[in-house]
Amino acid sequence: MTAPAQDLNRAQERLRRLLFLVPWVARHPGLTVDEVARAMGLTREVLLSELELLTLVGRPPFQPDDFVDIYVEDDRVYVDLDQRFSAPPRLTAAEGVALAAAAELLRPAATDALTGALHKLEAALPRAARERYRDMAQKLNLALDAPLGLAALSQAIVEHREVEFDYFTFGSGSTERRAVRPFELFSHRGQWYLSGHCLSRRDTRLFRLDRINALALTDRSFEPPTEPPGAAVPQPAREGARAKDKVRVRFSPAAAPYAAERFGADVAWVGGGALEVTVPGDSERWLTQWVLSFGGEAEVVEPDWARKAVARAAKASLDS
Amino acid sequence: MERTERLLDLVALLLDAKEPLPWRAIKASFADDYGGSAEAAERKFERDKAELLELGIPLTWVSNDEDKEDGYLVDREAYYLPELGLLPDELAVLYAAGSAALASGAFPGSQDLAHALRKIGFFAGPNPPAPKVRLELGGVAPTADLPARLEQLWAAVSHRKFIEVQYYSPRQQQLTERRVDPYGLVLRRGLWSLIGYCHLRQGIRTFQVHRIKKLSTNPKNPRSTDFEVPASFTLDDYVASWPWQHRFHAPVEVRVQLGSELRPLAASLFPGAATTADGAATVSATDLDGLLKYVLSLGEQARVLGPPEAVDRWHQMAQRIATAHEGS
Repeated sequence: MTAPAQDLNRAQERLRRLLFLVPWVARHPGLTVDEVARAMGLTREVLLSELELLTLVGRPPFQPDDFVDIYVEDDRVYVDLDQRFSAPPRLTAAEGVALAAAAELLRPAATDALTGALHKLEAALPRAARERYRDMAQKLNLALDAPLGLAALSQAIVEHREVEFDYFTFGSGSTERRAVRPFELFSHRGQWYLSGHCLSRRDTRLFRLDRINALALTDRSFEPPTEPPGAAVPQPAREGARAKDKVRVRFSPAAAPYAAERFGADVAWVGGGALEVTVPGDSERWLTQWVLSFGGEAEVVEPDWARKAVARAAKASLDS
Repeated sequence: MERTERLLDLVALLLDAKEPLPWRAIKASFADDYGGSAEAAERKFERDKAELLELGIPLTWVSNDEDKEDGYLVDREAYYLPELGLLPDELAVLYAAGSAALASGAFPGSQDLAHALRKIGFFAGPNPPAPKVRLELGGVAPTADLPARLEQLWAAVSHRKFIEVQYYSPRQQQLTERRVDPYGLVLRRGLWSLIGYCHLRQGIRTFQVHRIKKLSTNPKNPRSTDFEVPASFTLDDYVASWPWQHRFHAPVEVRVQLGSELRPLAASLFPGAATTADGAATVSATDLDGLLKYVLSLGEQARVLGPPEAVDRWHQMAQRIATAHEGS
């Protein structure tokens, strides 16, 4: 981007922020400087200098009562005269599109709420911006096939309610009813997971949402932990595996460029265009599946048990 | 007077005006700012006006009213954000998705998104709901320039300006210089892609954003567009959501059989494929190798039944893995 375009962007950004700041403080008088800064996504220092600029803003003929009266008293922010900045401007087409595209992340999870919300969002755009909104909305696409349980699970998380569901375990191919205290939902590489405390297993577990069925919210509530224990998604870059579980994997010259993109700086080039990475070996199932997914372009170098496990898995496919 | 200050003053003046304000009156109100020659002053005001319009401020020129002088007006009804009337669950879903997208660290239009979130929460109270939803991209090792690249690409898509890129192909292991008309951005499985018309290949192509090594947007005539997007174009036609959907060859109908353990998952393992209750799936693949690798990763519970060239290729892959891992 050229420098003038960047400057223009920065000036607009500032204007947009200030047009929101005055009405927002007027609506929520007496919040602390830090609270206002946090809500505006600014540092305390930047907020204070913006407030200073706002005291110079007003309308001609610039008599004392013609200025915006915004001030800090005992570290709290107030507006006495808003000079008709009583509500922020409507959403622009670009703001509407950004929000609508992000909302697609949760489709079809919250179908009703989402459809309702997007309808109201579009209705709140200035008439002139609606066509541009519809046009731009075609150009940003985040549909991630969000699973159906997402809405109910978010509700359970917010209301601290235990849930029950049938969970399909990939390894055993069996389905079992589980009771879970849900902590957090997250998407990793487009795959949705629920992290929570499994009462059936008495441990923190991750559940793939596409393996959850017959979900029910119970009336049993629980006290959520202040710091939910993290549970790592099975993926090559995850932390936490013990040193003795490390597995060295070599990628052929054809696959090496892709592996380099995935692993960044954590690769060792071993000559001839091949490279090696070290991945956790705490889950044999995950490891064999992962190596097989490269169709022969990845090879376990060590340890021996991991080589044998991959050989077994490949032969099992041939014999099946 | 500082420009931001003048623009805010202008908005305050126009929001308060009961009648259209002629240029003469505006000029007189900002005598110091719009000084100099008449032409220079008007040019300056035009620039200010353009900026306000870009921010969506409904500034219009009102004329032909016999009782009133011609002039500028801001339509208050169109300016002020109305109560959106969002129900709590509607607000919650927008908040959850919007905050997750922002927190992922790489979202095109992230500034727009942050403003939009603040605006929808304007009538809701100072403390928006805290959503427990998180989005991790996780597709490739994070690079520092991804967020800025996405912003720049999104600006080019929105304003229909062509871009020039240096693009890295891991398949060819080489860089090419291309001019691209950017049509849209897509997020799938943690990876952002740009879809657009490639002038080098003379066709619509998909570009992984992390493989764009250099990027510049046509700096000429920033307020006019460089190209039209064909009316028949949709992003969905070009998106590869699954490993077998990359467009490398004509579609091959591949039959896959799932064992008893995986049967219940047939539809979710092969979205879009025709599946049966006994665990058979017919997958239309435009990247056969991509599909076969995926089938291999499902283990012995997944077998390729046909066509014969797919079965052979699948066997070759499995054999190659078995041979490579023999002995120690």
